[in-house]
Amino acid sequence: MRRKQKNIIVVTLAVLIAVLFLLPLVWMVFTSFKTLSESMSSSAILPNVWTLQNYIDIFSPTSDAPILLWVFNTAVITIIGTVLVVAIDILAAYSLARLQVPGKKIIIGTIIIALTVPGIVTLFPAFYMFKSFNLLDTFIPLVLPYTASTMGVFLIYNFLISFPKDLEEAAYLDGASQMQILRHVIFPAIKPVAVTLGVITFMGIYNDYLWPSLVINSNEMKTMTLGIATLIQGSNFVNPAGMMAATVVATIPAIVVFLVANKYFVKSVTNSGIK
Amino acid sequence: MHKGTSTKTWAILMVSPFILCFILFWLAPMFLGVWVSLHNWNLSSGNNGFIGLQNYIDILTPGSLYNEAFMLALKNTLVFVVISVPPLVIIALGLALILDHLPAKLKPVFRTIYFVSYSISVTAVSAIFLWLFNENGGFINNLLVSMGILGKPINWLSEQPYAWVSVLIATVWWTIGFNMMLFINALDEVDPSLYEASDLDGANGFKKFIYITLPQIKHVAFFIIIMTVIASFNLYGQSRLITAGGPEQSTTTLTMSIQNAVFGMNQLGVGSSMAILMGIIMLLVTAAQYFMSYRKKEVN
Repeated sequence: MRRKQKNIIVVTLAVLIAVLFLLPLVWMVFTSFKTLSESMSSSAILPNVWTLQNYIDIFSPTSDAPILLWVFNTAVITIIGTVLVVAIDILAAYSLARLQVPGKKIIIGTIIIALTVPGIVTLFPAFYMFKSFNLLDTFIPLVLPYTASTMGVFLIYNFLISFPKDLEEAAYLDGASQMQILRHVIFPAIKPVAVTLGVITFMGIYNDYLWPSLVINSNEMKTMTLGIATLIQGSNFVNPAGMMAATVVATIPAIVVFLVANKYFVKSVTNSGIK
Repeated sequence: MHKGTSTKTWAILMVSPFILCFILFWLAPMFLGVWVSLHNWNLSSGNNGFIGLQNYIDILTPGSLYNEAFMLALKNTLVFVVISVPPLVIIALGLALILDHLPAKLKPVFRTIYFVSYSISVTAVSAIFLWLFNENGGFINNLLVSMGILGKPINWLSEQPYAWVSVLIATVWWTIGFNMMLFINALDEVDPSLYEASDLDGANGFKKFIYITLPQIKHVAFFIIIMTVIASFNLYGQSRLITAGGPEQSTTTLTMSIQNAVFGMNQLGVGSSMAILMGIIMLLVTAAQYFMSYRKKEVN
């Protein structure tokens, strides 16, 4: 009986906290369906009058916010960036963990040092490099710099060195080529870590704000995340209704990926923690 | 196994895309940053000559323009570190403990709810909290005034200490799920037989927490504190977008002041020096925390 009472208290507390966590998101969704004037004066969560006008406005071709273009840009750079990072990191981690790479110790040591150096140190020089090569305002700086991240190589490398080599050795003795071993033995084994890395990378690129804000100027080249910042700092979205409609469009893909990949996201946190 | 030239060739082929990307987009900017910081380097007119450590001296000598900007931003950043790390760590532990005591069926549901806000971007978080806290037309003021709790709206975004409160609440809501997940993992790894033994001794929940849970999770807790300090040092998006660095630059952080040196004043050299100094400060703080916990371990 006492156990049951305790359960009720804990569940009640958990529900109250859940309401606090969900309230900003719920408010965001409902505010996007309010009229402009109501959104400014409203002290209720639900709209009095429901309207789709905010969505019609932001998707109209005359809008300040070319949202469809931003969604398209974001899709291009997150997909290409994630595939590139995962592919490059798997190859490098496999090579470092299993093959005889010259200078292996130096490479791994450098990777660990790079992990501890705060990102701010390379941020502005990297911007200046792209500026010097006239590559600002293109997809190139929005995609390629993420491939320098050492986190993924380190993650997969750590997984592989604690993973038994027996299968690979058997495949090697049977005359399998390096590529065949990678495809049929290594890849199935590291799939969970690779997906985890994919999810972290996707979220990282999708949600990045500071770096895109340095290398992108024109409205047409912006990502969704950068676009929202532009709307906040601009002068045409001075009401919560329009702003929240744009924010809903920006957050839905991230939340959907998060919920679908929840299992891997949870794992990614476990992997980032010290064991 | 794996002898012969063909494996070695494969090894080099497979690692080289990463090495190339790493050199181009990490090592080169790293060295360029150090190089630029030793020059009078203007963002638009380029390199105006080698000046040794002059940029660093300017930033660290009291009285100069760059010194004022850097020290103010450093102070603001440290204020945020001090006010944000305790709630981000303690509330996260509290949430993890609540989840730990929930019936197994409900755990994943609430874990997902507490963690979902971590998946959205800092710009979306800022848009939401900007309009929750806005003085005119913001939901919280509308609500508090209509309920009669406030006579007139509070200036959440451009008056202290409210500006820090707004940035802090947005940050806690956005990032606390991550720390909570780390604590959940740590709690899961505590040996259940320890609790069973203390049950036999008749220990209550609080005693169990102090004498069993806390010592068992202290390494992870320490790791979480370091990660949170680093994250709070990097405060940028929330204070740029919610409070625009104000009022009177009181929420202008280090990253913002570096950005201002580079883009506002065109001083790439000064900005690079500031970035390197900020990096050094962060490494020193991390090392100091690490050293302190190491010393404690030795004493224990």
